[in-house]
Amino acid sequence: MSEQILAQPTLYSADTTPKLNGGRCKKCGYVFFPPQFYGCEACGALPEQIESIAMKGSGKLHSFAMVHHHQDRSGKGLQAPFTVGLVVLDDGPAVRSILLERTDEKLRIGDRMHSVLAPAGTDDTGKQIVELRFTQTEAAR
Amino acid sequence: MKKTIREMRPVYVVGIGLHKYQYMSDTTFVTLGLTAVREALADAGVGFRDIESAYTGTALLGMAVSRPILRHLGASGIPMAQVENASASGSTAFRQACIEVASGLSDVALAIGVDKPAPLAPAASKANIRDLVGARVVPFTHFALLANEYMTRYGLRPEQVASVAVKNNRNGAKNPYAQRQKAVTLEEVMAGPPISGSLTRLQCCPVGEGAAAVVVASEDGIARLGIDRKRAVKVIASVTRTEHVYRGAKNFDAELTRETTAQAYEEAGVGPKDLDLIELHDAFTIEELLYVEAMGLCGEGEGAAMIASGAVDIGGKCAISASGGLLAMGHPIGPTGAGQICEITRQLRGEAGTRQQPNARTGLAHMVGIGAVCVVHILQKG
Repeated sequence: MSEQILAQPTLYSADTTPKLNGGRCKKCGYVFFPPQFYGCEACGALPEQIESIAMKGSGKLHSFAMVHHHQDRSGKGLQAPFTVGLVVLDDGPAVRSILLERTDEKLRIGDRMHSVLAPAGTDDTGKQIVELRFTQTEAAR
Repeated sequence: MKKTIREMRPVYVVGIGLHKYQYMSDTTFVTLGLTAVREALADAGVGFRDIESAYTGTALLGMAVSRPILRHLGASGIPMAQVENASASGSTAFRQACIEVASGLSDVALAIGVDKPAPLAPAASKANIRDLVGARVVPFTHFALLANEYMTRYGLRPEQVASVAVKNNRNGAKNPYAQRQKAVTLEEVMAGPPISGSLTRLQCCPVGEGAAAVVVASEDGIARLGIDRKRAVKVIASVTRTEHVYRGAKNFDAELTRETTAQAYEEAGVGPKDLDLIELHDAFTIEELLYVEAMGLCGEGEGAAMIASGAVDIGGKCAISASGGLLAMGHPIGPTGAGQICEITRQLRGEAGTRQQPNARTGLAHMVGIGAVCVVHILQKG
């Protein structure tokens, strides 16, 4: 694990079921992802009113799409086909994530989902880069 | 007290012009723009010297787009500015020209839309707010996710969503300005290369180049220049709104459309039953289903059945995307919203030839753009 590098350490933790770093407005209670500290989108509260919160990497699949056409200019990124899901977290916000499932065959709206860290290439020194993806919580039915 | 556009001076569309929407070519933006503007001036029967202000809707061309085009019509020193509002840039340029005339600042104003494809990233990508997916989710996947949710919720098959492309390409085949001018079968739409989710290539709009131009005038301007009143079309609502916070996974595209259209109906004093034609933001097939419901033409989940019934074909109760829409006429970004005004004006004048919606009296133009923004105009025969 120590040799793993998080692709986006500001967005999630290195846990086995990574937590997502969200934001919460202390003034109006609005909870959001991705985090930002410019001001609250719901009520306009100042940056000092926004606190970081760790949200559980669990939720429900709201919709999904298998992406067949994708241009990755670097050639090193994710190649199509891959799947994207909109997951409504148990903590409230809806997040779009790459899913571990490469195809949409076994996905169903309403599936329980959880976060995992998945390999996403290597850095210049050969260390493994991992990124957060969501996957079905129950095994193939 | 604040006023709506209808409570200010009446504004009329008096001239329309287009450069055909097409795949990117060596044609300069100057030629694209001049073609549309010259056609619009000729259509109105006015000269460039009669234009008192100009707004150019453009998102991708760079700084200071108006004068490099308009100076070739004889530099007259009029105020000009560019309007950038993502996919709704042309709609917003038209709105600014309407405001200019309604307020009394000008009697005759010009709105242009012009663009050529360019790899320009939205400003939000420089805000240093990253999400999990980045560039791996582009608009077609955003709408594929909505299609997946919609089809599951209402028990629809992908073919029922895809049928929007059959209708709109059938209309586009009759439009000499359209980028796609070929009728297609449902089988051809479904067989096309898959893009994302259930969306195939022909269910995604082509983004190319083109231009559209609209001349608007006050009653004083019409009288002074001897413009044909019978061909003038009145602007009875102009509304634009932006997204607010919608909790959870609520579909903001439809909600924003619902709010903006409702306000436009109220300003115009019309309802969905009064509309004879609509040009809407059908960049992807699923959008037409979402928006006809958000606009109140039918109930939630009834969009596919309404389209299958022929009610929104040319000759039906309310023709949707008689021009071919974004799916067939194309979506060159800056021109698109101004091009919708051209189509509705042509239809309300009864000059749309083989794609004429019979007895068209009232039409609505709708664009959404990333941000998200939404612009709605309602036009009525004078």
